[in-house]
Amino acid sequence: MKKRLLIHVMLCVLCFPLLLSAQDNAVSLKVQETNGQPIAGVTISIDKKRTMVTDAQGAVTIPNANSSIIVFSATGFKSKTIKADTLTQSTIILEQDVANLDEVIVTGLSTNVKRRNLANAVATISSRELSSTAPAQTLDGALEGKIPGAYINANSGAPGGGITVKLRGVTSVYGNTQPLYVVDGVFIDNSATSAGLNAVTSAASGGAATSTQDNPSNRIADINPQDIQNIEILKGASAAAIYGSKAAAGVIIITTKKGRQGKTAINVSQDLGLITVRKLLGVREFTADRAASLSSDPATSEALKKQFTDAQAAGHIYDYEKEMYGNTGFARNTELSLTGGGEQTSFFFSASQKDEGGIVKNTGYRNTGLRLNIDHRISDNIKIGITTNYINSSADRGLFGNDNVGATIGVALSSTPSFAELHPDANGNYPANNFAASNPLQTIALMKNNESVNRFITGLNLEATLQNSGKSTTKFIARGGVDFYNLQTSALFPGTLQWQAVNKGTSIQGFTKNLSTNYIASLVNTFTPSDNVSLTTSAGFTQETGDYNNLLNVATQVIAGQSNVSQAGALNATQLRTKYLNSGVFIQEEASIIDAVTLTAGVRFDRSSNNGDAAKFYTYPKAGLSWNLTRSGIVDEGFFNNIKLRAAYGQANNVPAYGSKFTGMAISNIAGNPGVIVNIQQGDANIKPERQKELEAGIDFSVLNNRLSFELTYYNKSISDFLMLQSLPSSSGFSSKWLNAGDLRNHGVELGLNAIPVQSKSVTWNTSVNFWLNRSKVIRLIIPPIPQGSFGYVLGSFQVEQGKSATQIVGLDGDNGVGVLGDAEPTFQMNTYNEVTFFGRLSLRFLLHWKNGGDNINLTSLQSDFGGTSADYDKVTNKMGVPDAVYRIMQIGTTARIFVEDASYLRLREAGLYYTFNEFHNSFIKSINVGVSFNNYLTFTKYRSYDPEVSNFGTGFSTGVDVLPYPASKRAAFHISFSF
Amino acid sequence: MKKYNHIQTLFFAGIILFFSACKKDYGNLNGPTVEAYQNNATAAELNNLVSGIESGMRNSIAFYLDDVGTIGREVYRFSPSEPRYVTDLLGANDAELSGSNFYIATPWASRYRVIKNCNVLIDAANSTTLITDAQKKGYIGFAKTIKAHQLLMNLNLTYSNGIRVDVADPDNLGPVVDYDAGLAAILSLLDDAKTDLAGADVQFPLAGFSAFGDAAGLLKFNRALAARVDIYEAKWSDALTALNESFFDLNGDFYTGVNDVFGTGSGDQLNPAFIPQNQNGEVRVAHPSFARDIAANDDRINKTSLRNSTASIPAGLSSNRDVWVYTSSTAPIPVIRNEELILIYAEANIQLNKFSEAIKALNVIRSKHGLGNYGGAQTQAALIEEMLYERRYSLYFEGHRWIDMRRYNKLDELPIDRTGDDVWTEFPLPVTE
Repeated sequence: MKKRLLIHVMLCVLCFPLLLSAQDNAVSLKVQETNGQPIAGVTISIDKKRTMVTDAQGAVTIPNANSSIIVFSATGFKSKTIKADTLTQSTIILEQDVANLDEVIVTGLSTNVKRRNLANAVATISSRELSSTAPAQTLDGALEGKIPGAYINANSGAPGGGITVKLRGVTSVYGNTQPLYVVDGVFIDNSATSAGLNAVTSAASGGAATSTQDNPSNRIADINPQDIQNIEILKGASAAAIYGSKAAAGVIIITTKKGRQGKTAINVSQDLGLITVRKLLGVREFTADRAASLSSDPATSEALKKQFTDAQAAGHIYDYEKEMYGNTGFARNTELSLTGGGEQTSFFFSASQKDEGGIVKNTGYRNTGLRLNIDHRISDNIKIGITTNYINSSADRGLFGNDNVGATIGVALSSTPSFAELHPDANGNYPANNFAASNPLQTIALMKNNESVNRFITGLNLEATLQNSGKSTTKFIARGGVDFYNLQTSALFPGTLQWQAVNKGTSIQGFTKNLSTNYIASLVNTFTPSDNVSLTTSAGFTQETGDYNNLLNVATQVIAGQSNVSQAGALNATQLRTKYLNSGVFIQEEASIIDAVTLTAGVRFDRSSNNGDAAKFYTYPKAGLSWNLTRSGIVDEGFFNNIKLRAAYGQANNVPAYGSKFTGMAISNIAGNPGVIVNIQQGDANIKPERQKELEAGIDFSVLNNRLSFELTYYNKSISDFLMLQSLPSSSGFSSKWLNAGDLRNHGVELGLNAIPVQSKSVTWNTSVNFWLNRSKVIRLIIPPIPQGSFGYVLGSFQVEQGKSATQIVGLDGDNGVGVLGDAEPTFQMNTYNEVTFFGRLSLRFLLHWKNGGDNINLTSLQSDFGGTSADYDKVTNKMGVPDAVYRIMQIGTTARIFVEDASYLRLREAGLYYTFNEFHNSFIKSINVGVSFNNYLTFTKYRSYDPEVSNFGTGFSTGVDVLPYPASKRAAFHISFSF
Repeated sequence: MKKYNHIQTLFFAGIILFFSACKKDYGNLNGPTVEAYQNNATAAELNNLVSGIESGMRNSIAFYLDDVGTIGREVYRFSPSEPRYVTDLLGANDAELSGSNFYIATPWASRYRVIKNCNVLIDAANSTTLITDAQKKGYIGFAKTIKAHQLLMNLNLTYSNGIRVDVADPDNLGPVVDYDAGLAAILSLLDDAKTDLAGADVQFPLAGFSAFGDAAGLLKFNRALAARVDIYEAKWSDALTALNESFFDLNGDFYTGVNDVFGTGSGDQLNPAFIPQNQNGEVRVAHPSFARDIAANDDRINKTSLRNSTASIPAGLSSNRDVWVYTSSTAPIPVIRNEELILIYAEANIQLNKFSEAIKALNVIRSKHGLGNYGGAQTQAALIEEMLYERRYSLYFEGHRWIDMRRYNKLDELPIDRTGDDVWTEFPLPVTE
């Protein structure tokens, strides 16, 4: 045997000098496209035990190849299997496959299936699409416009993220609406922790330190997109059911880069960019008369007139909007990565630092991360993978959004005319702004609102083959991890600020500790009685825990210059703790017949400490069927290269919010006597989880030699027993109560097209086009509809109402009373991602995203109208012949129609042009990649505020309420990277 | 294969462990729960409920004072962010009182929240074995007395629209009863409480009760409230009986009584009805009729203070005097005090035609406020006028004027400032009811 191999290798060496290698039985190969262009990054699996990857020239040297079975796979190509000892050439040609049929998709907690046999429409985002066109500041930003079936919306332009992701419509009203993020098997906490800004803005009444209007960032923003190899998006229960309690809003499965066997590859990259405001609204052009008209009191009018003429004479007319939002932020991003390994152990290491300024001075984002992923084979039967990630991030987010005291920068600007003097004098003292409660220039210069995070995420994967016979293989797979972070929020408003006259300085210091853990342990048996049938049985149990502890100290009457809360005249502390334990048991059976028909059925039993009955298991079944018509021979492989029918059904749950089963008592002290008083929110000891049921069906087919592929999906998902807060007669002592209020339905379609319109020796053009839409309806509601999620009927509000769209916007509508004025749901969305490669070196990539329809509640322009500063204040286009702003103000109380505005947009989300130099055969450097990129550079919209993407209320149910947010930005960047 | 069995055993052992060990219920980590108090509560826990009740009595108290004070034309509340004080409450043009607005919804809910706490305390006291029967009676007598007071505050607002008396079960609330039935229920609650307090041992700390924090004191407080309800019900001799058992003292300090007290401590509250003098924007000013109608030398003029500049709003209201009843952020707000009891004594005697006793009481009030003895006609009608004048100025902005004028069918005598303004008789019930 050995001898024969040796002869064989000798033959190879004789025939193909290129294969010459230091090791006896090593093979050197070059992987190319059909047009001869090398393919970098091809994954090479050797006997399913070792993996390697091709370098920038598509080359790889496989040591100890012997008679190995070698599988080549790469995104966008059909995979290819060869036997090392029958290899006759040094070039491996991979055929393009736009439908990615050979891509392996995770379908269970411990099983996977090739896309060609998948029963669900699982969207995937490769690292190239994620971060190689125009890298976004944060991971959540990098997802925007890339997921068919998703509604992704940035809450504001503030540095550090804060983005709503809704997969296939709203999945909950008061429950969690955001998907579960799983990074290498670790469930990642994505909560948003308020910095306690409500203590200074009073955006929500009631005097609490926090509100939903504090615009915090989501913690998923911490993850470095450049560490990510691949993202899979399970959009609903039919695909995600196996993830259980946290999966009702979908699951985003993130796989980070792993080590490959071979010579250590080093990559160093550097980005430099400039961040500028995307759009300014403009300011009102004042005249003496207009200045006078700001007050109805004759004496004040006269004084304003004089203030204007004096300012004009002195040349002191300013464009404060430009001055405040016109800062150019400098962005730099440095990344070093090392990957390599031997037969037993391989590793991926990365170190990165990102530092980006904002369009408002003293705001910005910094993220430093270290990652080490190690894969190790203990024996032939046992392998482990360890992922570790440390992150330090810091975001200075400014003070924006709604407030009731005139403190935020946007609100102050909205009532400050151009002839006000806000600039500091020679000694650096800022004058008081007599048009607003605060001087926004002073606020920007002196305040601080920082979120800083230290986070450690580590995961472990263990795979042990317990039994392996010819027909049956049994594996034990365990996967789990820990996500721990400390978040410090620090908001400091010195006493010298104009609006701190009463509090004489406020320091709000928040300390949050969060520990999430999860594990799954499962047994997977693959039974192959014949070549045509394969059965995979998996069973196991899972557990997730969360322990969140937030301590917020609000100090007022602060000693001048101090931020330490002990250096203050008054201190108020609030602590919020939540803790949960979810556990589940699952069993799943997958049957594959002649690699053409795949049947899946599974069931999961879940319980959670958040449920009314913590011991009760709720049952969630799932089932799927995919039937490949070409492979099963029903349709001849002629016009159709591949055609598949699929259907899947599944159920998942969304557990109630922590504490909704208790009727708590609130502290209420008097004269030093500690007291407790019942909370105004009544608990429901019998509260149940929301249950989501999803059915999806679709057809996938490829034509024209796999150069054109289509994926068509229809889904219908209903949420039964959705959680709501019901208003109670207040004579009960309570104002609201949690309850399972009714049923909600989302249905929609997703159409995808992937194509290679041009493929020649010199030019390759890859394109994908997606179209998706969603419609929702409240099927059943057992309580009367109540306005929620905004500021009531006068200004337009969301309202959950039986028989209506869940995201409808209602409000005053003239003589009709309260009517439906709009809907936040887009009519449809489309995107197209394109990559055009010239001579395999110059690559142009761009992502266009079109959101058609979907309304916002725009109160930003209303605020400027109220403040007398809107750019179009004096235009007269209305039928009454008064200034437009006056006309708009007159509508308040009669109709809210003017505030409900179409927020359609067409946006060039990302565009990049890159050139690769890789002709360094004898050099230390393997390749150099240079490029320029643009983020959100072009936006076409008629929307009348800073950006159609906005959410004053963060990531909850009610996105799209626009109240003077941190304006959106755009970015241009230069990139250079070296591979060694 | 042996190894395989081994791991399989471990796996199933794991499952067994998983089912037995993982049934967790973490409870509420952010505070106690209502249920916890029903499980053999300690005296300390009951005392926390008592303090919560006393503290909760202060919640939204400024809304109540502004409601009664504005409709009773005692004050104006100007607020740039809240125009409804001068539109809805004064009935400007077509504006009407709405059951969904803060001025009724918020104070109403706050009172019932205290009542809920009282019910929790009663249940807790009844179910615990850790206190004596006499102590139990103390907690229950206190809780019932406060419940009666809180119900009365809401009934004062909603009047003929009534209140809900039976609210023990939040999922199964009793009916809304009308004004007379409401008053009767309040009185019977006070009488029940009186019985409880009679044999009670009171060991719990109270903040605003000063000398009335023991069983005997609480009984006096209870009877003072009963006297107030009696005159609302026109039970004049009952009122005199109740006064005799209360802390009524013709020669005593006018301010002896029970107060809502305020403090700067952690979790405590500041007086929400306090606004510094000469503010702009957020102000509370005296109705112009306050200074116009006051007798010369009446020192009660000092319950208002002359402003540096007249406060006015574009809607056509102005006043040059700030309300200056609560002169600091920790000034107490009376729940009931001796000056009111003296005036109740006067009123009951007027109604019982015992004019000399009435005039004696009125003169006590007059002399201490810099006025001479009453010299007007000694007729019931004239004395009622006189008594209402004294009540108006003695109890200014303590939540009485509107109710007094309503009792005597004199709401049409309250001044109307702008054409189209209305003087409301009552608030609608909150929409949630």
